Amino acid sequence: MKIAVCVKQVPDSETRINLSGPAAALDSSSFTMIINPYDQFAVEEAVKIKEARGAGEVTAVTVGAQARVREMLKKDCLAVGCDKAVVVDDPALANADPLAVAKVLAAVLRRDQYDLVLFGIKAIDDDASQVGVMTAELLGLPHVGYIGALELGQTTLTARREVEGGVEVVTSPLPCVLTCGKGLNEPRLPSLPNIMKAGMKPVEVVDCAALGVAVPASHTAVKQYTPPPPRGACTMITADTPAEAARALARKLRDEAKVI
Amino acid sequence: MPNIAVFIEQRAGQIKTVSWQMLSAARALVDQQGGEVWGVHLHAAGCQVQDQAGQHGAHKVFTAEAPAFATYDSELWTQALAAFTREHKPDVLLIGSTAMGKDLAPRLAARLDCACVSDAVGLSWDGGLVVKRPVFAGKCFAEVTSTAPLTVVGIRPNAFAQEAVGGTAEALALTPALDAAAARARVTSEETGSAGKVSLTEAEVVVSGGRGIKGPENYVLIEQLAEAFGAAAGASRAIVDAGWVDYSHQVGQTGKTVAPNLYVACGISGAIQHLAGMSSSKCIVAINKDENAPIFKVADYGIAGDLFQIVPALTEAVKELRG
Ligand SMILES: Cc1cc2nc3c(=O)[nH]c(=O)nc-3n(C[C@H](O)[C@H](O)[C@H](O)COP(=O)(O)OP(=O)(O)OC[C@H]3O[C@@H](n4cnc5c(N)ncnc54)[C@H](O)[C@@H]3O)c2cc1C
Ligand SMILES: Nc1ncnc2c1ncn2[C@@H]1O[C@H](COP(=O)(O)O)[C@@H](O)[C@H]1O
Repeated sequence: MKIAVCVKQVPDSETRINLSGPAAALDSSSFTMIINPYDQFAVEEAVKIKEARGAGEVTAVTVGAQARVREMLKKDCLAVGCDKAVVVDDPALANADPLAVAKVLAAVLRRDQYDLVLFGIKAIDDDASQVGVMTAELLGLPHVGYIGALELGQTTLTARREVEGGVEVVTSPLPCVLTCGKGLNEPRLPSLPNIMKAGMKPVEVVDCAALGVAVPASHTAVKQYTPPPPRGACTMITADTPAEAARALARKLRDEAKVI
Repeated sequence: MPNIAVFIEQRAGQIKTVSWQMLSAARALVDQQGGEVWGVHLHAAGCQVQDQAGQHGAHKVFTAEAPAFATYDSELWTQALAAFTREHKPDVLLIGSTAMGKDLAPRLAARLDCACVSDAVGLSWDGGLVVKRPVFAGKCFAEVTSTAPLTVVGIRPNAFAQEAVGGTAEALALTPALDAAAARARVTSEETGSAGKVSLTEAEVVVSGGRGIKGPENYVLIEQLAEAFGAAAGASRAIVDAGWVDYSHQVGQTGKTVAPNLYVACGISGAIQHLAGMSSSKCIVAINKDENAPIFKVADYGIAGDLFQIVPALTEAVKELRG
């Protein structure tokens, strides 16, 4: 089974964004970059499938500047069981929107043909939650999104996906695109020897021209970033007993905040 | 003069309230810019939306009725909406950022090669549509513009108020040709989960518990307070990772992003990843025994005290006030 995993590098979830007013771009110079946390579930799932079958190949695919993504590919993909990686590094893609990224990923995936393509449910920087499903559409493949459990057969798969207040069970033929959420597995940590060995695994670097596609235009653009609206000070409620404090709070929620 | 189409979502015949919120938001825009609001509704049978859609600002309602629309299917829904947009050419199509909407919008946008923006909390017009949306789970906002003739916009539930304008909508029938053979990923069954009656992302009130509850057996205190408010119950990642509650309850940067009218955080310290998922809630209440906990920095009301005493007392107080 040939499996591809699409991974994105994103700022660490600890990242603070210090905007004092509207800005055309975010200052990323202080950001610590990590693999998108959801993509770790996708990587782990792909490697688990390969191990369970005792055969197959897992390719990590990313669109990003090779100098920045190399460490991530080595430590978070190749050292935990991916066999090789493809980087699409093209300066023309610097501000690509999700559909443009999906078009580039589709070009790689079409060229190499996979039985299963895994994504994270969303990237924790743009929070778009679009690229996986868009790529499926561009490849003419079915998809199951937001999966929390997977059973894989020879030619079909069954996945569980979370919906409001419940779960949908979805069956699909292969090849298929999946977007992976938490709960699917426990991503393993890379060991030091495996990180060393990962340096030997092949990493192919291409640009759009090498893939034989024109640089896709983005249909959307961020005009500006703005800070969240400031919040007022906290009113601390004190009273002699918990019951009185609770009643005082409930009254404020009804009369002042008007939320009950 | 933009024409704005709104996807009126039903799941098992129940209309999602975000649908009415989207109609109201669309109506506010066209009242300034000209143009019309069109509801689009796919249903299996007997789901009447015309009156309510008109009430909430729709000028026209397009409905397609087919047995295939009884259960959500990304391929068939995409076919139907693609046929609708190709024929009627709206400038904007609003789709709720629900489980269904997040599945549908990207597939539709890729099929139509149009613009797609998710999880909008603000819409304005400045020579063209400007969509405001949180990024980095709410640590900042992005204002997004589109250069495509059609922009598909996902709308975050509860971001817009539902307003009845008291109009009537003209009813029109859609008869999209559906190619069922193209539908390969099929929903084979549905289960109601432990997240229960009120869904976290749509709830108007959310009560969440963190490590301060000490053990899984005490999560019931959170659930009881949630029930008193008619709220959904959430959780910090700490207690999800500890296995005390299911992941479907997790609020935060790697869980759900919620923006209810009221968010009550009990025994949650207020780590940046948790704040990211709830800091755009309209009113925030924190209950924590540590008066220096960072959660109080984003809270509107706080009680510094033992949640084991405060939470049951608040449950009683809320029950009294709500009758
Ligand atoms: C990549 C990444 C992603 C993450 N994503 C998320 C996410 O999506 N959501 C999330 O929540 N976290 C997330 N985290 C984890 C986050 O950093 C914190 O570890 C977590 O939010 C802490 O949970 P907590 O507040 O319940 O626990 P703690 O930080 O341990 O806080 C417990 C609080 O309870 C209070 N308390 C204790 N006893 C009582 C009592 N009797 N009465 C009242 N108060 C009491 C304490 O004073 C304390 O403030 C993420 C972390 C990483 C690295
Ligand atoms: N630049 C990228 N390179 C590779 N995969 C990506 C990229 N951007 C997004 N993805 C994949 O698409 C998923 C959803 O991203 P998004 O739609 O941006 O929220 C991520 O979890 C990744 O699996």
